[in-house]
Amino acid sequence: MTTDNPLVEPSADRVAPPAVLVVFGASGDLTSRKLMPAIEQLAVRRLLPAAFAVVGVARTEMDDDDFRERMRTTVEKMGGGGDEAKHVWDAFAGSGAFRYVAGDYADPSTYEQLKGVLDELDRDRGTGGNRLYYLATPPATFPVIAEHLGAEGLNTPRRDDAFVRVVIEKPFGHDQASAAELDEVVHRSFEESQVYRIDHYLGKETVQNVLALRFANAIFEPVWNRRYVDHVQVTVAESLGVGHRGSFYEQAGALRDIVQNHVMQVLALTMMEPPATFDPDAIRDEKVKALRAVTPFGRQDVVTDVVRGQYRAGWVEGEEVLSYRQEEGVHPHSLRETYVAMKLHVDNWRWAGVPFYVRTGKRLPKRVTEVAMTFKDVPHLPFASEQAEGLEPDALVLRIQPDEGITLRFGAKVPGQAFRVRSVSMDFFYGAAFLEEPPEAYERLLLDALVGDPTLFIRSDEVAQAWRICDPLLAAWEEDDVPLARYESGTWGPAEAHELLARDGRRWRRP
Amino acid sequence: MSVAARQARANVTTIGSWEGDDVSVSAVEAALSELRRHEQRAAVRTSVLTLVAVVPDDGAASAALDVVYDLGARHPSRTIVLVVEADDDSDDDSGGGAGEDGGEPGDRQHSGIDAAASVHVVEHGGRAVCFEDVVLRVRGTARHHLDSVIEPFAIPDLPLVVWLPARLPAPGDPLLAVADRIVVDSRAVAGAGGPGGERSSVLPRIQALARRLPVTDLSWTRLAPWRSLLAGLFEGPVYSPFLREIEEVEVVGNYGPRYLLGGWVSQRLRVPVTRVRLAPADHVSITVTAVHRHRTGVFKVARHGAERVIHSSIEIDGGPSVSQALRMRHQWPALALGDALTRMGRDEVYCEALEGALRLRAVA
Repeated sequence: MTTDNPLVEPSADRVAPPAVLVVFGASGDLTSRKLMPAIEQLAVRRLLPAAFAVVGVARTEMDDDDFRERMRTTVEKMGGGGDEAKHVWDAFAGSGAFRYVAGDYADPSTYEQLKGVLDELDRDRGTGGNRLYYLATPPATFPVIAEHLGAEGLNTPRRDDAFVRVVIEKPFGHDQASAAELDEVVHRSFEESQVYRIDHYLGKETVQNVLALRFANAIFEPVWNRRYVDHVQVTVAESLGVGHRGSFYEQAGALRDIVQNHVMQVLALTMMEPPATFDPDAIRDEKVKALRAVTPFGRQDVVTDVVRGQYRAGWVEGEEVLSYRQEEGVHPHSLRETYVAMKLHVDNWRWAGVPFYVRTGKRLPKRVTEVAMTFKDVPHLPFASEQAEGLEPDALVLRIQPDEGITLRFGAKVPGQAFRVRSVSMDFFYGAAFLEEPPEAYERLLLDALVGDPTLFIRSDEVAQAWRICDPLLAAWEEDDVPLARYESGTWGPAEAHELLARDGRRWRRP
Repeated sequence: MSVAARQARANVTTIGSWEGDDVSVSAVEAALSELRRHEQRAAVRTSVLTLVAVVPDDGAASAALDVVYDLGARHPSRTIVLVVEADDDSDDDSGGGAGEDGGEPGDRQHSGIDAAASVHVVEHGGRAVCFEDVVLRVRGTARHHLDSVIEPFAIPDLPLVVWLPARLPAPGDPLLAVADRIVVDSRAVAGAGGPGGERSSVLPRIQALARRLPVTDLSWTRLAPWRSLLAGLFEGPVYSPFLREIEEVEVVGNYGPRYLLGGWVSQRLRVPVTRVRLAPADHVSITVTAVHRHRTGVFKVARHGAERVIHSSIEIDGGPSVSQALRMRHQWPALALGDALTRMGRDEVYCEALEGALRLRAVA
């Protein structure tokens, strides 16, 4: 990973090594909204070396200066770093560190041209053959780009001490088979160890904090199992609708867009066993083991344990909103799900018999992501029932966004002459406790990829396991075996989802 | 800066304050608890540490609070500013407020505390986060027992950080017994106008202090950009081989910074002190000249003038040459202090730099 440079301080932030970041899809939305602000911030924080360069590749005709200035203005428009950032961009301008290659991804001459630019940069800037390819392009182009990089010999390092890595954005296929196909194509040009699959959720501090909470504390892990936990609820709620992404969403739906990646990642971190070390593969091995223990949905389970829903018109956060079927780019009789609720069983010693209820949806009352563990009741309550009317089971809630932190719900005596107990919540707010500012998810992940730390990237077997869980639902929905439940925008989902828990004598939390 | 101006800048609202002259420590504690009862309903509090600043006068107290306010949402939960006037206050005592009614002999010996406590909230990510500060003016013999003054105010079971903006503690200072970490500024101490002999004793005194408890030297913290940029220049397959053969290191800057930076490089890279050249200058620059396969490389991190920009560059004979210019961030005092407060434990690299600085001084 890092060199044995004695000047690097172990406690300081890691600085990226000299390298060329090659961005495919350089004129696209992801590049201007996420990647460029991340590069600017990394430079301002002095985490990029002087010998760093960016090469943009896209179809749009531009020269090096156009590209750089375009990136500079888009970052500025989005409220970039101001005065400090000005020097970053001026330095990029003066040094020839920002290059652009215009061309079609399917045209070999694009890659010949790219190779020429990379050689020039190695010679002039001492980037030493280090490359990070970032595929910020639609998934259909991944195989094309990977193949051409291989054909041009740009897929392997030219010297032992250099690296070549490729970052791929989700979706990683649209089902298990297509994910395997994609892997096959990518693996024709790249070793798995070169492939960095990015899920920006893992770049969030609070997702990583799940690991800290579980494995840096002695008091939580002993109760983190079937002996004490009654059930677990995972909520990934959005208040937004599909907006302008209607036609994309028609192809994807909530299961592919959220459940297969974000939800599965959060679940894996919650369910996994303690890793022996914090090295990338030790952690990812445990995540895969956890996902593998999730019982696959049988044909009948898809009907009884899963609810798919779609939002109707309604009111969200004080505004009247359209029905999904009225959104731009959406078929008027669309059956695409914007909501999924399901009950998962995990077959291992830790979790056997503990249901994991998962729900995600658009146009829910608010944006919130959380994992809530509800604990079992006390074996015996020594109070009269009227003394404990306000008492709920204890709960530990990991709030991932927006109010990152931890909430512990427990019973306490209500002040007064009478002895009554009621549930109270004790809140810990992550942002209020620490003096440090957390980096943006993309900033963190881009630096990790440059430094060569794949811990927070998704390995191919993780992707496969996540699809294994989701595939039976896709198949059943394809055959229209399961009714689509529609819910009013601004509510917590369809009645069927409430039924799913009510059957088990439980109910969804209000997050 | 006025309190109002300070607050406006940092987006801080004061939600309660209390003042009392010639009061007991327990009275101040009680007042603070009362203020906090209001705070608990108004804002979130998650405690991290207690910061104690020890300053000689009101001006310095105000300056210290400015720095803490500048930390904004990165403030410590509780700040105590101790205003401790120098010992030789043998002339009139009119400013003290004590003794005018009592009229007893030896009034100047009378220990007394004037206190002002306030509780504030700062907006952070849409949430109000709470912090408080207490300014205590300590008179008389109590000045020699400051540990007993601050103990009651320390947040239980959390680190207590003592910050001395412009001086070093005496070896017997009782504050050292209660501090978990001490924050000093070697440049401010060296530049405080003492005789030359005193300046040269700064680094050995800090070294002695650092053997006793973890020390943060804000002067060292301010050198972080030079250190990280220089380290970054030697990364990667093209540039890292140059680390194996260092020809010469040149550091220019103020007294403390140039010795510390020179000491750091010579220790970390095992460069003999005879190959390290130091020279005075207004701004810090470091140049490392190295050889690899008969090609000379010049690796440089420099701040040239008053403009807050740091240039870093590599020039290899007949080979690549790169450069980068970065703007230094504003609000240096707050930034350096904020950084110091996030670190716990002994800073081994700083201790090595001190060691190297003293070796350089021995040959100078």
